[in-house]
Amino acid sequence: MTLLQARGLAIGYGRTRIAGGLDLSVGAGSVTCLLGPNGVGKTTLFKTLLGLIPPLSGTVEIDGSDLSGLDRQTIARQLAYVPQAQIAEFPYTVIDLVVMGRTAHLGRFGGPQRADYEAAMTALDRLGIAALAERDSTRISGGQRQLALIARALAQRTRIVVMDEPTASLDLGNRILVLDTIRGLADSGLAVVLSTHEPEHAFVVADRVAVLGRDRFTIGPVEAVLTSEELSQLYGVALNVEQAPSGRFVVGPA
Amino acid sequence: MMTQRRIGSVAGCLIGIFLLIAAPAFGRSVTDSAGRSVEIPETITRVFAAGPPASTLLYVLAPQDMIGWVRAPRDAEKPFLLPMVRQLPELGRLTGRGDSLNLERLIAAKPDLVIDFGTINDTYKSLADRIQSQTGIPYLLIDGRFENTAAALRLVADVLGVKERGETLARAADETFAQVDKVVAGIPPDKRPHVYLARGPEGLETGSRGSINTEIIERVGAINVVEGPRPKGGIVSASPEQLMAWAPDTIVSLDRSFHATVSQKAEWKPVPAVAAGRVFLAPSLPFGFVDAPPSLNRLIGLSWLLHTFYPEQAPGKLREQVRSFYHLFYQVDLTEPDLNTLLDNSGG
Amino acid sequence: MRTATILLSLTILLLAVSVMASGIGPYRIPPLDVLEAVLHRMAGGGDTGAIETVLFNIRLPRVAAAACVGAALAAAGAAYQSLFRNPLVSPDILGVSTGAGLGAVIGILLGLPVLMIQALGFGGGLLTVVVVAALARSLRGSGDVLVLVLAGIVVGALAGAAISLVKVLADPYDQLPAITFWLLGSLAGVKASDVAATVPVVLLGLAPLVLLRWRIGVLSLGDDEARALGIEVGRLRTIVIAAATLVTASVVAISGVIGWVGLMVPHMARLLVGPRFDRLLPASILLGAAFMVGVDTLARSAARIEIPLGVLTAIIGGPAFVWLLARNRRKLLP
Repeated sequence: MTLLQARGLAIGYGRTRIAGGLDLSVGAGSVTCLLGPNGVGKTTLFKTLLGLIPPLSGTVEIDGSDLSGLDRQTIARQLAYVPQAQIAEFPYTVIDLVVMGRTAHLGRFGGPQRADYEAAMTALDRLGIAALAERDSTRISGGQRQLALIARALAQRTRIVVMDEPTASLDLGNRILVLDTIRGLADSGLAVVLSTHEPEHAFVVADRVAVLGRDRFTIGPVEAVLTSEELSQLYGVALNVEQAPSGRFVVGPA
Repeated sequence: MMTQRRIGSVAGCLIGIFLLIAAPAFGRSVTDSAGRSVEIPETITRVFAAGPPASTLLYVLAPQDMIGWVRAPRDAEKPFLLPMVRQLPELGRLTGRGDSLNLERLIAAKPDLVIDFGTINDTYKSLADRIQSQTGIPYLLIDGRFENTAAALRLVADVLGVKERGETLARAADETFAQVDKVVAGIPPDKRPHVYLARGPEGLETGSRGSINTEIIERVGAINVVEGPRPKGGIVSASPEQLMAWAPDTIVSLDRSFHATVSQKAEWKPVPAVAAGRVFLAPSLPFGFVDAPPSLNRLIGLSWLLHTFYPEQAPGKLREQVRSFYHLFYQVDLTEPDLNTLLDNSGG
Repeated sequence: MRTATILLSLTILLLAVSVMASGIGPYRIPPLDVLEAVLHRMAGGGDTGAIETVLFNIRLPRVAAAACVGAALAAAGAAYQSLFRNPLVSPDILGVSTGAGLGAVIGILLGLPVLMIQALGFGGGLLTVVVVAALARSLRGSGDVLVLVLAGIVVGALAGAAISLVKVLADPYDQLPAITFWLLGSLAGVKASDVAATVPVVLLGLAPLVLLRWRIGVLSLGDDEARALGIEVGRLRTIVIAAATLVTASVVAISGVIGWVGLMVPHMARLLVGPRFDRLLPASILLGAAFMVGVDTLARSAARIEIPLGVLTAIIGGPAFVWLLARNRRKLLP
């Protein structure tokens, strides 16, 4: 079932067009990975999909409804955003940070109730960081903070989750943890979109991959799209896709 | 006929008795310079002066009613004041918004009346009304313009119950003004001095034309070299270069250290007034002759300026005039040494 | 819940400080006399002796006004710190205090009645922020808080220059002292009617801040994250700026310019209840009110003359702030 759909999308700012003719559809229970070189517009595409900036042309639809006609609260009930982890200005505790994910479900006035705190704790638990609940979010490790942000998106109880480079600057152990979590989310029915710099991550976690190049956009099943030729053209460097004896796909210089 | 007159006089008596009985602690109503009708007590023995000009006014009219000074007199000033006021406490200013005097302290000082002597405008009118309604103390606003001096004296004298003294002082003020006008009328325009008022230790602060600080200098026909942006002047800063451009032939200084050092300052030497040695220090004990405060203390300043600017045409002797002014207004008798101290360096 | 206890304690603190402040002042009134006068007045009595005059015309209005001023400035400061995502922001960041100062000193220069001076102060504050917002919008759309801050700095600087110009033009004997004291802040001339006019406006401005406090807190995560969490960022920002400007302008109109309170009190409150805005706001309001009542009591009774409030808050606030930073570096600054 298609939850997030972009049709003929052209993205950019004001008069500057960054990419166009983008068609994207993300279904429930799937992971779609977005790959592309630096500066090609991945973040712009994400912000357009989230409705944070308007498309230059084309539409984005959530569950059939055009994004531009929806108010922020309605959007937030269906679509959650996991940004790259940064240190916040104020030393919120992890539970405070995560319960902010419940905002979309709160009334106009008033704050989180017991049920909201329970949803937050459940999310923390699912990611295995319930013990961090009362810790200062500015004093935990980058990986833990990223997990906390994912927990916030979970607490938001949406069907679609969009993640911007969730594994950037994480150590190997945390990277594996996050990728496992992402796969687990999809398996439980969510539609997940994430961007990454690592084609190997796409092989590990994604069902479909979207490749955004300088004048190209391709979307399709992972193994079909991520060929040696495609990757070489995308990154402008001769690359080779190989399969290791264990079955894992490895990408390296040709 | 008889009956009517009798009824009339009986009625008159009854009304009189009724008024006497019904008269509240507030005895009568007076109108101040701002047109405000204010209820004041029958007997007034304690008066609060809201600012330095009011202090001066109160001192000359009714020193016995003073309860304090805005700024306590300095030691050098005390010999020039009546003994009864020398040790009065410093109470602070009341004019203007949020001033240094706490309203509770005003109430604690138990004045019968507050007198304010200065600019009359809506701000001060509304402030007076506010303080009056907050504290219950009658507040009189008196027009402090120099030309209003005689009228102010008469008005406040009537309020304080010293009508005779007020009349005497007012007449003296009128005479002084008349004398000034007469002398100035006889001075041809080219004989009028071009004057610069030097304030502050650097002498670079001055009053522009039409300012309250240079008012009396302009009143005696001198030309203020400093022209300001508006007809009503104010305090402005000057540079030595501007002074050379203005080229005043006379300087009136308010600051002792400036007067003492100006002739040694290189940037001032080219100024005509300095070159000709025509830098005069305005006397200031107990109140400034020219300024500080801008009140009726400047009456004697008029005489001093006449003698300084127009020594040939000025009538009488300055020292005599100073002595009699101090006797009449400040109620002190100056000895020769006092006069010397007072007029030292003033060219008088 | 810990927060509720703290808020209750702060409320009691405010009441206690206010009661004590009512009994302190240059005119000595023994505490029993204070109580008696208050009870008598509440029972409908209308005595007008010296004690009643001091208490009801001068001192109680001052205490009420001080509480109002402190609450308003602290709330505005806390709200702006969340809005601009920076704990070093004060309510004057968009120029409301400087603009109010300009309006008021123009009123003094023109010799207008006190009520007009206050109205011009209020209007000047509001107008300045409107100009800043319009300037920011024309420069980069309303999406960027940095542009707002820069516009605020520029307009604030212009207003400050204009104030200096007014000082030069003002009559040095009558007007200049009035202008100077106004700019230093004081509640010495505050009347009951001033309080009656200010309290409703402050309550009107505080209401949206209090009702929307959860969402205002979410704003501190950044525009994109806040939007993604369901906040209409542009609209909420406008509401916060309007409310903060309203409360600040209305108290500056009666008290003059008072700094440091809006910057420091939220930090003190943060130490008590943590950084979450939905807890921080009520704590700031209560603490700010109590703080200001204490400072004003000091202003009128510590020396023979009135000490301007702005001077006292700077003397207390500056070192206290440095101490706070030194002790709690990690908790307060990232």
